[in-house]
Amino acid sequence: MSNMIKKADAFEIVNHWTTAISFFLLVVSGFGFLFHIGQVGSVFGGFSQMRVIHNYAGLVFAASLLLSVFSYLGEALIFSGEDVIWLIKGGGYLSKTGKVPPQGKLNAGQKGFYLLLLLAGIVISASGLTIWLMPGIRKWLLLSHLLHNISFDLLLIAVTGHIYLATLANPGTFRIMIYGTVPLEWARKRHAKWVQKMGF
Amino acid sequence: MSRKALLISPELCIGCRGCQTACKSWNQLSAEKTQNKGTAENPPDLSPNVYNRIRYVEVPSAANPVRWLFVSQRCMHCGDAGCMKICPAPGALYRTKEGAVAFNKEKCIGCRLCIGGCPFNVPRYDAKDKIAKCTLCSDRISAGLAPACAKTCPSGAIRFGDRDAMIDLSKKTGYAKVYGEADLGGLGTLFAFRDAPAVYGMEEKPAIPESVIFWNRILRPLAYWGLGAAVAASLLHYVAVGPKRDEEVKKDE
Ligand code: SF4
Ligand code: SF4
Repeated sequence: MSNMIKKADAFEIVNHWTTAISFFLLVVSGFGFLFHIGQVGSVFGGFSQMRVIHNYAGLVFAASLLLSVFSYLGEALIFSGEDVIWLIKGGGYLSKTGKVPPQGKLNAGQKGFYLLLLLAGIVISASGLTIWLMPGIRKWLLLSHLLHNISFDLLLIAVTGHIYLATLANPGTFRIMIYGTVPLEWARKRHAKWVQKMGF
Repeated sequence: MSRKALLISPELCIGCRGCQTACKSWNQLSAEKTQNKGTAENPPDLSPNVYNRIRYVEVPSAANPVRWLFVSQRCMHCGDAGCMKICPAPGALYRTKEGAVAFNKEKCIGCRLCIGGCPFNVPRYDAKDKIAKCTLCSDRISAGLAPACAKTCPSGAIRFGDRDAMIDLSKKTGYAKVYGEADLGGLGTLFAFRDAPAVYGMEEKPAIPESVIFWNRILRPLAYWGLGAAVAASLLHYVAVGPKRDEEVKKDE
């Protein structure tokens, strides 16, 4: 279609779903461990096997997170004055009439979400690896256990918000992570600076 | 069933280590080659094959240049057990009806988090990475027998019975303060000390690490409250403000 614009490439889309599926497995098994949920253990074939799956899903999560840097980090690190105003105005999500300044390829909220995901993701991966590979050193174990759970809570809340904003709250957004494209007019309304830069 | 406990009196211990042998014998734990460290103490530490041992503590003073204390080291069967709190595998560590903290190797997933939860550095791991520690001979006491160590002790340094009775006994025999009477929900391994715990190489105030308590009180519940709140806030926003339908979004310039 001529009036579409490409917002995500194939690599980005595949990597997004790799992160998402591993994250989902990690959260479900994590809840099983946190709250001793026997049914969750059974689904994974017992708690011992769930530990193995949790650990390897963690590796996949960490790897895909690191790969995501190529797609988003450069963009996410540039914060303009307009981004600040966007944030102050709550991204226009607080009312129907809210107007926000023009945004680049990622809006300020998406930048913030990505940076949080990256940071908490690195912490949760590193602490998980420590518990897995450096067992028995009490100091490290306790620190890792604490950091693993703090970053878990942060990620859980942030990703829930991400899922809502990328589906129900913004009709038309979800298709980016399937087809990679959005209608040009749709993009112009939300990412004006980027569309302009792309020469449309 | 009333809570059972061991009462350990280092001053009565003669350091014969019959308890170590009886423990190995009952729990079928093999011997380990150790090295002479220049002391009569042996083995040097708890291990997957050493559930209890006697620490030889030398406290020479002017009045008594050869004071030697023999202090039994093992799981304390905490009333509020940090190992159980932190363990992610249901049933790996469990409390028996006598109040002992026992384990089930089949259920243990070998994550070793219990090392972090235990205030007494007790849990050890076997070759298959499964937890190993004193169980208060839960298989014996559930059949009405005394633990192997208490059964074999010739001097009365390790006694076993109802926890209340052990505390009474200790106080009646002149040990006003019983180590483990109240700390950590009350220990299932009580000590009758004459001096400050530090003299015996024990902590004055043993406690579950604060990070584990913080995790248990705040971070763990936050996982489901946080998730619930995020979902609720999303739904509320959807109903109260509504989605950004494309036809309603203004050009943002
Ligand atoms: S090593 Fe075993 S007993 Fe210890 S916390 Fe992990 S699962 Fe529980
Ligand atoms: S001493 Fe350690 S292993 Fe024993 S019950 Fe207490 S916390 Fe658990």
